[in-house]
Amino acid sequence: MASSSLAQRQTILTRTVLIGMAIIFVAPLVVAFLTSFKTPSEITRVLTIPSTFYWENYAIAFERAGRTFLNSLLITAPAVVLSLLIGSIAGYPLAYMRGPGGKLVYFVLLTGMLVPFQIVQIPLFFLVQRMGLYDTVPGMWLVHTAYAVPFCTFFMRNFFASVPRSMYEAALIDGCGPATYFWKLLLPASTSGLAALAIIQSRAIWNDLLFAITLTTSDNARPATVAISGFASSLQVEYGPLMASTVVSIIPVMAAYLIFQQSFVRGLLGGAGK
Amino acid sequence: MAFKSRMSRTDWTHIAFLALPTLLFLVFYVYPVISSIHLSLHDWDGFSPRMRFIGLTNYTVLAGQPRFLHAVLNNILWVGFMLIVPTGLGLLLAAILDRGIRGEKAFRIIFFLPFTIPAVAVAAIWRWMYEPDNGLVTTVLNLLGLGGLSQNWLGDPAVVNLSLMGAVAWWTTGFAFLVFFAGLRNIPTECIEAARIEGATPWQVFWKVSFPLLWPSTIIVLGMSAIDAMRLFDVVWAMTKGGPAYSSEVLATQMYDLAFGRFDMGRAAAVAVYLFIIAGIIIMPYIVYMSRRVQDSEAE
Repeated sequence: MASSSLAQRQTILTRTVLIGMAIIFVAPLVVAFLTSFKTPSEITRVLTIPSTFYWENYAIAFERAGRTFLNSLLITAPAVVLSLLIGSIAGYPLAYMRGPGGKLVYFVLLTGMLVPFQIVQIPLFFLVQRMGLYDTVPGMWLVHTAYAVPFCTFFMRNFFASVPRSMYEAALIDGCGPATYFWKLLLPASTSGLAALAIIQSRAIWNDLLFAITLTTSDNARPATVAISGFASSLQVEYGPLMASTVVSIIPVMAAYLIFQQSFVRGLLGGAGK
Repeated sequence: MAFKSRMSRTDWTHIAFLALPTLLFLVFYVYPVISSIHLSLHDWDGFSPRMRFIGLTNYTVLAGQPRFLHAVLNNILWVGFMLIVPTGLGLLLAAILDRGIRGEKAFRIIFFLPFTIPAVAVAAIWRWMYEPDNGLVTTVLNLLGLGGLSQNWLGDPAVVNLSLMGAVAWWTTGFAFLVFFAGLRNIPTECIEAARIEGATPWQVFWKVSFPLLWPSTIIVLGMSAIDAMRLFDVVWAMTKGGPAYSSEVLATQMYDLAFGRFDMGRAAAVAVYLFIIAGIIIMPYIVYMSRRVQDSEAE
């Protein structure tokens, strides 16, 4: 009897902690969302609900940053596909190679994960200019793909290593070459890993500020993160339009996560969580 | 004989697959790192055709600069913070939620949501949270009668780092939470049942059984946190630009300011090399461990 009331008290305690934490986690998002619909006069009353949907904030945000949202999409979608591809073609041989050569290449590629991007930033700036790709969308594809090599290789190599090896041996006995095996069998069998990595990469590339701020300068290729960073750190901040553009920038990755969260968690377990 | 030619065909396929990733790695990692080290030994404004060789001067000047040393200290604080706070909080939330609570799925989504949003959105939202007069933090403190605790959250050099860390904890805890939560779900229930039957309290079960079995998750979270702490740039840049008076500066933002604000490329490259060395010392053991551990798991 006494122990059951103790258990009850514990349940109430844990629920209270969870609900308190949930409020702290959600409150900033809710406030940002509500603020994006407030008129300039309402904005300073932070705990109120907007009296009407004041779409003007969104109109201003699109007028100032509409093109950068399009750029974000144009940069992110192809760069995610390319980075999954590059991680897969590097991860496949590294998961199947025997001997010191494979281990060495894997180790060298992994060291890329510890490189702070600052040490490549200045030479990269001049390199991309010399390639004629400064301030272009394809330039951003190339850069995001290249800097995805270490993590995507790591992730896909581990995922491929968890695919039963008997499948590989059976395919080889049937006369299937190693390249055919990869394209026809292994890659289609890896959708949950690829989906998880796609979410991780969408987040990384859509959210990137550092490469974008270094390698773009105009509406030609400038993504939304650079535009929002400019609004946010200016001295006179207009919070209405800022929150409107922030809400728009949040939606794509958050929606992708909410839609694919089951396969995301599964892929994370099969790959990096092993 | 036929077997041998099959082997070499496989080897050639492997090499062909690795060619492009390796080429990208050489062009976008190896070459720029060497180039930065070379640049750090020069005095150069980024425009003039000639770079002046000045040896290690950039390094020795930086080592005597309070501004630089302060940024190094900030980076070290960030590493400590990232290893402890989001990791600990994520573990706590995962452990509570793993006990089977109603509405588990909703909590799981809520705790992870902030992690999906861009760093600049975190910065924009928290600039509004920390707004000294009307921001949510000050408003709530006033409502609770704790108005005296209000600060100029982002304007006071003594407080700004803590304010930034609060925003980052909100942002990154979800990642640690989800990895730990998935890890806890992967632990076979027999292990936990066995310990319970032996008479272990929930507290003992967690620390003696679950936590050691969580090691693969823990190592991922700690490694990623350390890497993120060394690379930290976006949130600081978009929220304070390193200010006020360089108080919230980290090496990454200082380097950006020197290179693209003041066009002192050689000095900026030297900051980057220092950052590279510090990151190497902190993160290299992790990379060695990860590449070995994966080899081991295959050998089993």
